[in-house]
Amino acid sequence: MSEYVQEITQAEFETEVARSTLPVVLDFFSTECPPCEALAPKFDAVAEQFSGKARFLKIFRQGNRDLATRLGVTGSPTLVFFKGGAEQGERMSGEEIKRSALKAQVESLLGA
Amino acid sequence: MADRYDVIIVGAGPAGLAAAIYAARARLRTLVLDESVPGGQMKTTHKVSNYPGFPEDVKGTDLARAFSLQAERFGAKIRRAIEITGHDLSGPMKTFELDEEETVEAPAVIVATGARPRELGVAGESKYRGRGISYCATCDGAYFEGKEIHVIGGGNSAVEESLFLTQFAKKVTIVHQFDHFQAEPVSAAEALASPKIEVIWDSEPRAFLGDNQLEKLRIENVKTKEVRELATDGVFVFVGYVPRTDLVKGVVKMNAWGYVETGEDMSTDVPGLYVAGDIRAKQFRQITTAVADGTVAALAVQKYVKSLARAAA
Repeated sequence: MSEYVQEITQAEFETEVARSTLPVVLDFFSTECPPCEALAPKFDAVAEQFSGKARFLKIFRQGNRDLATRLGVTGSPTLVFFKGGAEQGERMSGEEIKRSALKAQVESLLGA
Repeated sequence: MADRYDVIIVGAGPAGLAAAIYAARARLRTLVLDESVPGGQMKTTHKVSNYPGFPEDVKGTDLARAFSLQAERFGAKIRRAIEITGHDLSGPMKTFELDEEETVEAPAVIVATGARPRELGVAGESKYRGRGISYCATCDGAYFEGKEIHVIGGGNSAVEESLFLTQFAKKVTIVHQFDHFQAEPVSAAEALASPKIEVIWDSEPRAFLGDNQLEKLRIENVKTKEVRELATDGVFVFVGYVPRTDLVKGVVKMNAWGYVETGEDMSTDVPGLYVAGDIRAKQFRQITTAVADGTVAALAVQKYVKSLARAAA
């Protein structure tokens, strides 16, 4: 994990996501999930690109089931986007998340 | 300046990695590009039972790792999580732009991009993707611990992944459009004997319903036309694959189903451009057949690269 990405737990959701002043991209990941492994370097790269403008957080699904259930996340990886504490835009999930598409979505999150 | 290779292989599934092993052993400068991690469809297959050389079942991820380590041992360079943002495959020197920031080139290219899981094209499918609908049992099975789920399909993937899902789910109901499985008899019999698996035959999904979250699956019996709605905690879809041909669209000849037509040596109409594996028009698609295609493509590429060197000398 790069220095631009921080891992959180569900206990930190309120402070790190809901009350964040910057827009947040939250990545639900699992172990034994090749698509999650594939996303990680793209997530790190985009996180570095938007350093200081948006926060890129990861959360381990198996250890944080309640939050996953509360947000209705049932697949890994799933990216959920937040601005001003509220979820915004389409979620991204599965193996086909492209770096360029993630970048475009973060740009629109910043612009919105 | 573009980084130059003898051969660039796109796709690190069994076809691409077998090609990489043969190309690298022939001392061709070999680059493999993959938008994910190596393994292709193998890496999300929970177990492989029919790949020769493994008397016991082998995990798809382990087989994928073994393939890529073997290719790397001989000097093939495998680039992971790469997005191809530009390409030109039609000329004598083929080029790829990677992640909008670098260019690589080679006189020979093997496209082994395989196939992606087919979507059903049913109402609500994209809305509930990741909110109850999944296409990968190894990735998402654990989300459904103690739940009641449905699997759509009746081929090898559907039946074998259903068996895998019984580790987590309380009950797995398979919805299949025919009155028997297309899967191999061994797995089909195992599924039919499983106390956790139930099958609804002759039925197709018509809609996914719910609020924020998938709650119901609407199915229609194709014989009686009876429509009903089933409460569900989640649906896994395994209804075959569609070829990933974005790179070669408009460049090579494809058949009516979108698969690429090749010669027996995996060559296409474009000199220096080869395809191998599930993307190719053929009757059977297995790990073994992908490996065979990759082998043939790499041997053909060796001949082609040598012929170029002779012509230049």
